[in-house]
Amino acid sequence: MATVGIIANPASGKDIRRLVAYGTVFDNQEKVNIVRRILLGLAAAGVSRVLYMPDYYGIVPRAVEGLSSRDRPPLDLAAADIRLTATQDDSMHAAAAMVEAGARCLVTLGGDGTSRMVAKGCGDVPVLALSTGTNNVFPVMLEGTAAGLAAGVVACGAAGGPDVVRRAKKLTILKNGRPADTALIDAVVLEDSFVGSRAIWDVGQLRQIVLTRGEPHNIGISAIGGQLAPVGPFEPRGLAVACGAPVAAVLAPIAPGVVVPVTYEHYREIAPGEEVPVARTPCILALDGEREVEVRAGEQVSIRLDLDGPAVVDHKAALAAAAASGYFRLPPPAAQNPGRKP
Amino acid sequence: MALTPKDLLAFYRTMVTIRTFETKAAELFAAGKLPGFVHLYIGEEAAATGVCANLTDADYITSTHRGHGHLIAKGGRVDLMMAELYGKATGYCKGKGGSMHIADVDLGILGANGIVGAGQPIAVGAAFACKYRGNGTVAVCFFGDGAANRGTFHEALNLASIWKLPVVFICENNMYGISNCQRDHMNIVDIADRAAAYGIPGATVDGNDVVAVYEAAAEAVRRARGGDGPSLIECKTWRWRGHFEGDPGAYKNPDEQKAWLAKDPIPRLAQKLIDLGHATAADLAAIDDEVKAQVAAAVDFAEQSPDPDPADVLTDVYAS
Amino acid sequence: MKKMTYAEAIRDGLRVEMQRDPSVYLCGEDVGKFGGCFGVTAGLVDEFPGRVLDTPITETAIIGSAVGAAAAGLRPVAEIMFVDFTGVCMDELFNQASKMRYMFGGKAKVPMVLRTICGGGLGAAAQHSQCMEAWFAHIPGIKTVLPATPADAKGLMAAAIRDDNPVVYIEHKQLLGLSGDVPAGEYLVPLGQADIKRAGGDVTIVTWSWMVHRALAAAEALAREGIAAEIIDLRSVVPLDKETILKSVAKTNKLVIVHEAVKTGGFGGEVAAVVAEEGFDLLDTPIKRVTAPDTPVPFSAVLEKAYLPSEGKIIQAVKELF
Ligand SMILES: Cc1ncc(C[n+]2csc(CCOP(=O)(O)OP(=O)(O)O)c2C)c(N)n1
Ligand SMILES: [Mg+2]
Repeated sequence: MATVGIIANPASGKDIRRLVAYGTVFDNQEKVNIVRRILLGLAAAGVSRVLYMPDYYGIVPRAVEGLSSRDRPPLDLAAADIRLTATQDDSMHAAAAMVEAGARCLVTLGGDGTSRMVAKGCGDVPVLALSTGTNNVFPVMLEGTAAGLAAGVVACGAAGGPDVVRRAKKLTILKNGRPADTALIDAVVLEDSFVGSRAIWDVGQLRQIVLTRGEPHNIGISAIGGQLAPVGPFEPRGLAVACGAPVAAVLAPIAPGVVVPVTYEHYREIAPGEEVPVARTPCILALDGEREVEVRAGEQVSIRLDLDGPAVVDHKAALAAAAASGYFRLPPPAAQNPGRKP
Repeated sequence: MALTPKDLLAFYRTMVTIRTFETKAAELFAAGKLPGFVHLYIGEEAAATGVCANLTDADYITSTHRGHGHLIAKGGRVDLMMAELYGKATGYCKGKGGSMHIADVDLGILGANGIVGAGQPIAVGAAFACKYRGNGTVAVCFFGDGAANRGTFHEALNLASIWKLPVVFICENNMYGISNCQRDHMNIVDIADRAAAYGIPGATVDGNDVVAVYEAAAEAVRRARGGDGPSLIECKTWRWRGHFEGDPGAYKNPDEQKAWLAKDPIPRLAQKLIDLGHATAADLAAIDDEVKAQVAAAVDFAEQSPDPDPADVLTDVYAS
Repeated sequence: MKKMTYAEAIRDGLRVEMQRDPSVYLCGEDVGKFGGCFGVTAGLVDEFPGRVLDTPITETAIIGSAVGAAAAGLRPVAEIMFVDFTGVCMDELFNQASKMRYMFGGKAKVPMVLRTICGGGLGAAAQHSQCMEAWFAHIPGIKTVLPATPADAKGLMAAAIRDDNPVVYIEHKQLLGLSGDVPAGEYLVPLGQADIKRAGGDVTIVTWSWMVHRALAAAEALAREGIAAEIIDLRSVVPLDKETILKSVAKTNKLVIVHEAVKTGGFGGEVAAVVAEEGFDLLDTPIKRVTAPDTPVPFSAVLEKAYLPSEGKIIQAVKELF
């Protein structure tokens, strides 16, 4: 029984970056629509059971309800066994519960923030992250049906291996020597006192940047690295930028539609396992684009590059592998059992 | 954007003033001293405070039946407000309006309002006046989740959008319109989603975090002043008390109530002020005491003030 | 007969009609699980599953949808929480509900009830205390009723629901707790029939709603001074029971009209005009009106007291005729 988990974040795509930048507006109805397509793709690929994160809007139940009875797939659907908190922790708990319940692939809808939370709970189970958020470096823009098919073939064992599923990197935030949090793309030290509305748009507050990756086509803080010294998603290294003194400057799209000069002092490559200490406290740490961690005066905090991030599905490779093995080929029409999947 | 310790302490004082004023009003209502309807804002203080911190006396607001917080945050005087709650001649409206109609036009407060959703187009009109005069002033419209279902919401946002008016719509989503919870009165969760339908920006913020509200409102007000048109900000929050004093709020889920009480915006800010070294617990307690004294003085003022002269029923109907 | 309050009597009227006719349903803000802002519909949501609907704050759609449902064969009882909020749904009432039948050449009917509540005395101020019956009376095609007693509340509710026309049914906040005998089971008070709440031969007092009780108190006091007042409770302003009024004036030759609404454009003016037109010769003295002044309703208890027509003002007006 192939099981897939769906984590659709009802809060993604709504925050203040619709005001301070030009972030995509993702209303929940569109997420419902995307989930419909994912479900149909999953079922077509042979998935029989879907676990979903319960949420206050009911994205997945609404998706099912809205499918015409003609199309409703024979999926065994169940909410992941978590206590709803209506905070971002739900994504992490749901991921963990799904892994526990035997999910073999997780599909997520959200932005970098959502992916970060899922990564904290998904263990070794591969993730296919779809973009419905704001800063979307980790998740991909992908049509829901294709996403469902790709996750489906992975969950059904029709695609796999190192070409299809790869380990992403991550940053571990160490507070007084102990892991306290995780980021997938960037950890940024801000001269600020408040988590407030979470987004970052005032580059004047940047003090340090640590990146797992950064490419010139990225949007968000990682774009700065993309301009200075690009690092690919799977290259075993990272980048640290110090923004203290305004020695040099670079133009970068740090948020949707916000392409601004960023001043910096220097930057350098970092190696796996290397810890970058936070130079000055108190401060605020932003993780994957959102102010997240309050660092009090005197706390010892550092940011470590690790290679054991979440396993991610390369949807193109997955579907190519399935196609190559003839997974979606059907018996000749005459012999075909009407309506049957392979 | 960088908030100074002075700003933050002012936020604290404003929120405590609202809380203290309203806690007193609840007490006075229970003691039978205040006639009519009293709708309290307790728990929602961060919204009015964070928004109004971006405004000057020349900017306008429209408020609601739950207006005490908006008025205080916009600079309203608690003594004149309290006297109005008592229906005294010295009150803001000479005793003619009461809790639901307090206004101070000199402070740009175009009134609390007894008609849900009525403030939306009025704010649009005030914003039109701002734009017409071209003096960089703006209008802010406070309204609830329930009011977001009135036809006025649609008409006001549409007009504001096509005329590109300097107005900021602040939806205080406390998840209830009287007994009707949001789940039952609309089929969406984030009211800010509706902004897209009018071609204006919309954002959802934690309405119990005064800094988050401040930041969002700062940007929306900046856009409005700069001629970039209206925005919609949804502040997620929760009303602690019944819809009006006397309503036990039996329709609320006690677990949810408990969870929201824990998100009280005042201790959240107090703790930050202490952590950041901007204030000691003693400093904050001193502010609390000052505010308490101020509210107590407001009650004394109200109680000692004369009733209106019955002959005044006939005055103020028309401007002469 | 059963003793019940005015609020209970309304509920009983609703209940009996809902039991009798499955096409009757209730809708409005907080009418369901909350039982209505004043508790009038308490419990009905459980007694009639699926037939008591909580709406959003959406007066335009509450009344507009009632018009549509009525035109399509149901009998909605749609609540507007305070009569002061009918401004929001005025088009649905005065251009739609009221005119459909006429405009469609008599081929449609709109059997709906707009239930609402009026009146002051609670310190609810200018937007929650008004009396707007004259507005509705001015719209041909609509009937308007204002019960003053528990029995009338029940009987008029039943008649309003069974009527094939839009009926505005206006309760009064001061009367909700008033207790009285109410017939059990089906009970109808025909629309357009005034009720003589107290007989007397010296002066006719025409009134309705809460003011019936102030007029009765005044009549009691006047009786002690030897003046016998006849109190006519109109119950319906449209249709208007002219006959009962004229018959009484023929007997007393004096008319005082008492209403809580403001004077100018108040329904009292219509009553006066009817008597002047059709009973001019019956009058020995000028017609008097005791009403609120032409101002919004003030908040302060002192001001509101000065604003509302009182027993004293009624007594004074009557005495001026003698
Ligand atoms: C037009 C109108 N309809 C109904 C009411 C009655 N009423 C007063 S407050 C309220 C609920 C308002 O809910 P919301 O807008 O969410 O504001 P909140 O009370 O939660 O602050 C209702 C229905 C009214 N005052 N005006
Ligand atoms: Mg509300």
